[in-house]
Amino acid sequence: MSSDTTGPGADVRRSLYETMVLSRTYEEAILREYHADKGPGFDIGKGLVPGEMHLSAGQEPVAAGVCAHLTTDDAVTATHRPHHFAIAHGMDLDAMTAEIFGRVDGLGKGRGGHMHLFDPATHFSCSGIIAEGYPPALGMAFAFQRRGTDRIAVAVTGEGAANQGAFHESLNLAALWKLPVVFVVEDNDWGISVPRDQSTAIPSNADRAAAYGIPGERVEDNDVEGVYEAAGRAVARARAGDGPSLIEVHTLRLWGHFEGDAQGYRPELAEVPEHDPIPRYAARLAEAGVLDDAAIEQVKKLASERVEAAVAFAKSSAVPDPSDALEYVFA
Amino acid sequence: MTEVPFPVMSQADPAAVGILATWYVRDGETVGDGQLIAEVQMDKVDMDVTAPVAGTIRLSAAEGEEVTQGSAIAVIE
Amino acid sequence: MTITDTTAAQATRRLNTSKAMVEAIAQEMRADPEVFYLGEDVGAYGGIFSSTTGLLDEFGPTRIIDTPISETAFIGLAIGAATEGMRPIAELMFADFMGVCLDQIYNHMAKIHYESGGNVKVPMVLTTAVGGGYSDGAQHSQTLWGTFAHLPGMKVVVPALPADAKGLMTSAIRDDSPVVYMFHKGVMGLPWMAKNPRSIDVVPEGDYAVPIGKANVVREGTDVSVVTLSLSVHHALDVAEKLEADGISVEVLDLRSLVPLDRDAILETVGKTGRLVVVDEDYHSFGLSGEVVTTVAEHDPALFTAPPERVTLPDTPIPYAHSLEHAVLPRHDRIEAGIRKVLG
Repeated sequence: MSSDTTGPGADVRRSLYETMVLSRTYEEAILREYHADKGPGFDIGKGLVPGEMHLSAGQEPVAAGVCAHLTTDDAVTATHRPHHFAIAHGMDLDAMTAEIFGRVDGLGKGRGGHMHLFDPATHFSCSGIIAEGYPPALGMAFAFQRRGTDRIAVAVTGEGAANQGAFHESLNLAALWKLPVVFVVEDNDWGISVPRDQSTAIPSNADRAAAYGIPGERVEDNDVEGVYEAAGRAVARARAGDGPSLIEVHTLRLWGHFEGDAQGYRPELAEVPEHDPIPRYAARLAEAGVLDDAAIEQVKKLASERVEAAVAFAKSSAVPDPSDALEYVFA
Repeated sequence: MTEVPFPVMSQADPAAVGILATWYVRDGETVGDGQLIAEVQMDKVDMDVTAPVAGTIRLSAAEGEEVTQGSAIAVIE
Repeated sequence: MTITDTTAAQATRRLNTSKAMVEAIAQEMRADPEVFYLGEDVGAYGGIFSSTTGLLDEFGPTRIIDTPISETAFIGLAIGAATEGMRPIAELMFADFMGVCLDQIYNHMAKIHYESGGNVKVPMVLTTAVGGGYSDGAQHSQTLWGTFAHLPGMKVVVPALPADAKGLMTSAIRDDSPVVYMFHKGVMGLPWMAKNPRSIDVVPEGDYAVPIGKANVVREGTDVSVVTLSLSVHHALDVAEKLEADGISVEVLDLRSLVPLDRDAILETVGKTGRLVVVDEDYHSFGLSGEVVTTVAEHDPALFTAPPERVTLPDTPIPYAHSLEHAVLPRHDRIEAGIRKVLG
C-alpha cells in the first residue's frame, strides 16, 4: 500500500471524498425531484420544488476543501448556489431539504427556499443577490473578533461577483479592520452565459487581493487537496488575528447555471463531464491505497441513504398554512 | 451673583466676537449646577455653556446676538 | 413611557433634538456593551448633523467607529454582527445615499428575519439624516421615508421633537427588529442651520422610551386634522397657533412612526374633525400621504366631510435656488392654504 508523503493524511482525504460524494448525491436527488413534476414541457413554478434551482455539481471540491478547516461555530455566507457549502459545513439535511421543498419543518418554515437558507446552529446563511453575502460575513467576523474568540467567517462568491461593488468594498474593509474572514471565489468560468474573459479585466481574481493588501491564492484544476491546503493557510491566518485572505478556485460547473438552462452558449459542453472532480479524486485515492472499491461503494451507499431520508423527511413535512403567511416579518 | 461669560474660544484675538446661538433656558428659570444653558458659536466652532452654579438665571444676550468673548451672557443669582 | 422623578431644576432641563438623540444612544451604550455606532464621520467629527457628538470621548474608537465610504460593506457588516447578537447602530449619512447600499437594507436587513422563519434576528438601527430647506440640492435634500416604509421588514421611525428623538432612539435600539431612524436635519437644533425654536425642549432625564408605532396628538383641535411628521410638525404647530386667532381650531397629529403606522390614531382624529390635511415632505405620488388618505377612505369614506388635502413635495427633483426650493417644500404658506381649502 502506497501513500503520498506530502499533503493531507488519509483520514482527511477520505473525509474530503465523503463530503464531496454526499454533496453530489444530494444534488442528484434534488435534480431528480426538481424535474420530476415540471412537465409537460418545463413550467418553472410547478411541482414539489418550484422556482429557480442552482445546483453545485462539479464545485464540491471548493466546499469540501474549505469547510474541512471549520467548525460549526464558524460562519459561512454562501450564494444562490449554496448546497455544497451548506452540506460541507454540517447543516442538518432534513431541515435543509424541507426548506428547499418549502415545508413547515424547513429552516425558514418554507419562507426562504433554496437560495435563502439560514441555519443559526451552523452560522450559515446565503443570499440570492450576487456578492451581497460578503458584507454580512464581515459583521460575523467582527462579532467573533470583538468577543475575543478565534472563530472566523468564510464568504463565498462566484467569479462574476468579483466585478460587483460589494466585493471590493468588503475586501477593503476587512483588510482595513483585519477581520477574520476568508474570502472564497468559485471561478467556474461562467457568469450565467458570459465567460470570465468577457467580464473581468484581469485573468485571476486572486491578483485582486494585492490591491487590498491581503494574500490571494488561486487553486487550479478544481483540486480538492489544493483547496484544502490553501484554505488551511487562510483559515490559520484569520484565526491568528492576521486578517483576511482571498482564495480563488478554478472549479467546474457541471450542469447549467440554473436548472432549465440549455447552455447553448457553452462550446465545450460535450467535454464537461470528463472533468468531473469526484471520480477523478476517487481514482487518485484508490491509486494511493486510501480507498478501495468496497469503500467507495460504502461511501456512496451511506450518502444515498442519508439523502433519501432527508427527501422523505421533506415530503412528509406539512405544506405551510396560508393563514400565517404574514408571520415573522418582525421579531 | 455669578456671571456666566461667553467662553473664550479665540486665543489669538482677545476681542473676538461670537454668536449666542441657542438658549436652553428661559429668563428667570431655576438652573442646576452644570446644567446645559446655552450653545455658542464662533468661526463655525460650536460650544456648549453650562451653569457654573445653581440658582435663578437672568439672560443678558438674545439668541442670534453677537457677543464679545469673555463678556457676560447671563447672571445666576 | 417612563419619566424619572424630576426636581424643579430637572423639569426644565432642555436639550435640542441632536443632544436628545445622543443622550439615548449614550444611555443604551452604557447599559449594553453590545451596542456600537458606525458610519462616516461619526467619530471625532460627531456626525455631520451632530448625531454622535461627544460619544467618541466617552466610548472610544472601538465602539464609535469611523468607516470608509463603503455603505454596502459597513451596513452589511452591521447586519452580520446583528445576526450574531450584537446591537449595531449604522448611520447612512444622508437618506439620499440609499441608492448605493439599498440591497443590503431592503433585501438583507429587512428580509432575513422573515426568510429564516424567525430564526435569525437582526436587532440593528439604521440612522439617517433627511430633509431639505437649506439649498443642499436634489441629491441631498430628500426625505424618502415613503420608500423605506414601502419595503416590508423594517420599522421606520421619524421623530419630530426632542423628547421623541430620545424616546424613539431608546426604543429603536432595544427593538429586536431592524429600525430605520430618520432624523430631519432641520429639527436637530443645529446652530449652523436656520433656527427652529421647537427643536429645543424639555427632554426627560434617565431611562425614557417612546413606543414605536404610536402617533401623538401634539395639539388638540376640532375643525381640521393635520396629520404630519418630522419638520412639518413644527410648521403645522406654527400655523395652528396663527390660525387660532382666526377662530380656526387645528388638531395636529405627529405620526412619529411610519412602520408600524398608527392607523387608529389617523382614524380617530379624522373621525373627530372630518377634515384631513396631510403634510408630507416626501414626494407626492405613490407614498405616505396617499397611504394616510387611503387609511381613512378604505375604513369609512363618510368620515370625510370635505375632500382631503395633501401638502407634499411635488413629483420633481428638489431645486437648489432658495426661492425654488421653498416653493416646493410643504411649508407654512402651503399648510395654511391647505387648511383653509378643506374648511371651504
